[in-house]
Amino acid sequence: MTDVYDPAHDVGAILIVDGDILSRHAIADYLRHCGYVVVEAASTDEALAALVEVSLSIDVILCEIEAIGSRSGFELAQWVRDNHPDLEVRIAGSLPAAADTAAELCENGPHLARPYEPQAVVDYIKRLRAGRARENSAPPK
Amino acid sequence: MKSNLVPGQAENSPERRQCILVVEDEVLIRFMISDALREAGYDVIEAFNGDEAVDLLNVATPVDLILSDVRMPGAIDGLELLKIAKQRLPTVPVILTSGHLDPRVATTEGATHFLPKPYVIDKALGLVRMELKSRK
Repeated sequence: MTDVYDPAHDVGAILIVDGDILSRHAIADYLRHCGYVVVEAASTDEALAALVEVSLSIDVILCEIEAIGSRSGFELAQWVRDNHPDLEVRIAGSLPAAADTAAELCENGPHLARPYEPQAVVDYIKRLRAGRARENSAPPK
Repeated sequence: MKSNLVPGQAENSPERRQCILVVEDEVLIRFMISDALREAGYDVIEAFNGDEAVDLLNVATPVDLILSDVRMPGAIDGLELLKIAKQRLPTVPVILTSGHLDPRVATTEGATHFLPKPYVIDKALGLVRMELKSRK
């Protein structure tokens, strides 16, 4: 394990939305071993159920672009941006599939590659949270 | 399953923690029971339904106990999963949980224990501990 648990990063739970149990479990388990609280959702419907449960304190969402459920991964991301702008949501997927879907939805492409590279995901989450911490500590303009 | 993603978790390592497969289609229930089991020192794999659970068993993941709901979406419900598990992993205990199933059906079909829903987390933990302790 190259990563060391830093309580400063333990400010919320990470929601992994992925319909492939092998991919989902592998990245979720890795993140847990790095000290993060992780909630696993097998579909976008499960993700929505988890998001309305405020006690879970989710602050970062990683969503597979081709996630199953009544909404696609991009649609879930759009819903989160509209309804929970304080949450960080990132799409993961293979580049060709993501580019096609992104073009259709006029969205940005994926932010993370899938299959996941575990340490890259950890680094990414750290950067996200560090950036937000800087924003929150900046004096008002 | 690429268990080598997590250092120290080699499949046949003597230090390998006992692994529980939790099969439950209600995300919050699954999260709560899985979290409690992890807190108790077990490795946990979460499956949304029987189909996912079988996908997992197909890649020969070492599982020491299965805790499964009965009514779930997909082609494989808890009773079907029980049959598959008994064929492939005859020594692995299976605890079924349901708010609808007659407990006698669960035991007749070969479940190690039946846990009526809704259940208290401590009750589930107690059953898991008892079952795994006797098999260590």
